[in-house]
Amino acid sequence: MVHASDGPAIDLRYVAKTYRRRVHALRGIEMRVEPGEVFGLLGPNGAGKSTLVKILMTVIRPTRATGTLLGRPIGHKPTLARVGYLPENHRFPPYLTGRQVLEFYAAMACVDRRTRRRRAGELLESVRMGKWANVRVGTYSKGMQQRIGLAQALCHDPRLVLLDEPTDGLDPVGRRETRELLLQLRDQGKTVFLNSHLLGEVERVCDRVAILVQGKVVRQGTIDDLTAHGRRYEIELSGDPAGGLRAAIRAALPCTVEPPAAPPPVAAGGGGAARAPAEKGVLHSGTPVELDGSVVRIGTDDAAEVQPVIDALRSRNLVIRAVRPIRQSLEDFFIEAVSDVSNGHSSGPSRREGGLS
Amino acid sequence: MTQTLAIFYDAYRSLNAKKMFWIVLAISGLVVAGFALVGINEKGLKVLVWQLDTEPFTTELVSAAFFYKWAFLTFGIGIWLGWIATILALVSTAGVFPDLVTSGSIDLLVSKPIGRLRLFLTHYLAGLLFVTLQIAIFCVASFLVIGLRGGVWEPGLFMAVPLIVCFFSYLFCVCVLLGLVTRSAMAALLLTLLFWFGVYGIGAAENALLMFKLAAEQRQTAAVQIEKQPSPRQKPLPPADAPDRGAEAEPAEPKVERPPAEARQTRGPDGESRSLATAHKILYRIKTVLPKTTETVGLLERTLIDLAELPDGAFGQPNRDSAQGKAARQVAETLRERSVAWVVGTSLGFEVLVLALAAFLFCRRDF
Repeated sequence: MVHASDGPAIDLRYVAKTYRRRVHALRGIEMRVEPGEVFGLLGPNGAGKSTLVKILMTVIRPTRATGTLLGRPIGHKPTLARVGYLPENHRFPPYLTGRQVLEFYAAMACVDRRTRRRRAGELLESVRMGKWANVRVGTYSKGMQQRIGLAQALCHDPRLVLLDEPTDGLDPVGRRETRELLLQLRDQGKTVFLNSHLLGEVERVCDRVAILVQGKVVRQGTIDDLTAHGRRYEIELSGDPAGGLRAAIRAALPCTVEPPAAPPPVAAGGGGAARAPAEKGVLHSGTPVELDGSVVRIGTDDAAEVQPVIDALRSRNLVIRAVRPIRQSLEDFFIEAVSDVSNGHSSGPSRREGGLS
Repeated sequence: MTQTLAIFYDAYRSLNAKKMFWIVLAISGLVVAGFALVGINEKGLKVLVWQLDTEPFTTELVSAAFFYKWAFLTFGIGIWLGWIATILALVSTAGVFPDLVTSGSIDLLVSKPIGRLRLFLTHYLAGLLFVTLQIAIFCVASFLVIGLRGGVWEPGLFMAVPLIVCFFSYLFCVCVLLGLVTRSAMAALLLTLLFWFGVYGIGAAENALLMFKLAAEQRQTAAVQIEKQPSPRQKPLPPADAPDRGAEAEPAEPKVERPPAEARQTRGPDGESRSLATAHKILYRIKTVLPKTTETVGLLERTLIDLAELPDGAFGQPNRDSAQGKAARQVAETLRERSVAWVVGTSLGFEVLVLALAAFLFCRRDF
């Protein structure tokens, strides 16, 4: 399905949409989706995700659109015969059965009669709706409609599939099956463009993501790249930080730890002891390190750099309870990215917690 | 072609699911069965075994063929297809476009490799399919009944199919436009019915004004003729050398027929006629740009029967010799003189304009 000579599945140079000359839904989107990858589009409500997908599918007319879809200009109707689409909150004619829905939309995508009958049967089985194939869609549950919707998006064997909230309304089993289906599509060489609020789902299946905020792409790249800056190791030691553990760790670490900043004033009448602020330092290798209670954080994702620290702590007979590689989740990254744009500064959780980078 | 057929088939399934298609068809069957049950003989009408005295509607005055054609036009077309079935068809099809443009539904269709204009027109034609099928079935059944019972096989009946479809399409295009604007089947239906009654009212008012205008013209003509007749008092004096025949020789003064009171009243004020003509002209112009629903259905009458064949005074027909009858006949003749191009052409012009506006909205809208 994917050929080396193929250009990008979606190549957007500049896409803008303004409603009534006042409301800027999209402010010049630039995005590239390679063939054969699963691409996730993330963003808070009202960011313009669905608007972008609808522009690609000619449901909404752009104010300006420069770019291509499967090598053809955006809005080129015949190209849509090779594109599958599942809109958010789709609504099928309630008088049609599941099989009739698939055959009708396949016919609308110019699939011949024999092929659409065969494809409908295969797809109904693949989304586990074979038993309900001849039952009217109007009687289906939300999850069943979603499954038929997914099958509908694939009924004409498209090269590119755009899915707007495909797991919406599905139970955990359905979500898992959808994930597996998306991975199968990727294995078949199809390009999947996924628009979802469920960051966990996106993180599990997407190769690359873009984050859309206020009509602009604010981050774009592989999930590994995007979440790289928050990676670190944490070493948790056994003992009471207030009972000399902290001093012992400080003495053991192969670096100079800067004294903590002045503790924040305790509110009058506030109960409980104030938590000691984190102490920061730099290892001889230049890697940042942080001492926070009984936890030592080392700002690297290289296990080799952690070994001297473990050795140093063990040489002082300190008991190591756990050593954990910590990676910034996509959710953390997403919230940070959204907050950056919305507030003009970072208030992301990793930074609030004294992130190392 | 695959897409077009798929949309037509889907439209059929949609109508089928609403049951309305079958309900209307069943009522059509009853109407045709009604024709079949009624017979006409030398005594009058006969319903099954019951003989009714319906003079002058007997075979002595009208042929069975004429009777069946007249019944088909009056009840089958005029009342059933022209009113009741049309309202039912509008009820059935008013939701076609509001349903189509519903969010989540339109996305699935617009995102397919089919142009919006084609999608719009195909759905429009699919809506007309409902009426076409209904009328075609009704006409075939009526053709058989008139043939078997009346003994005349009248292919002209099938003119009802294009004419009634045409008539329905005038209303359906308005319903489509309103459905796209309001996105509500109920609002579209009610406003379309309102429009229809408005158009009907304008048509009826134009006909009434035409009748008043013609009557005023007749009165004025009569008054002018009376004016031209020499008054006995103004009779020229005989020449002086004329022999005096005396009073006995004087011929009797010719009896001058006095104009009727109504004609005397209009003497002089041809302003009434002028104002009626002006009002009629305005209404006629308004009517010209609007769809002519009644006239379009009435074209079938021109094809099938000659009103002169109707027995005098039968079924509410005015007496031909009465003043009312003369005026009505003159109006009917004037209406019949209006060309098919004017009746259908201008109505289709209206339809094209409304459809163009609806198509523009459909093609330009962000869903």
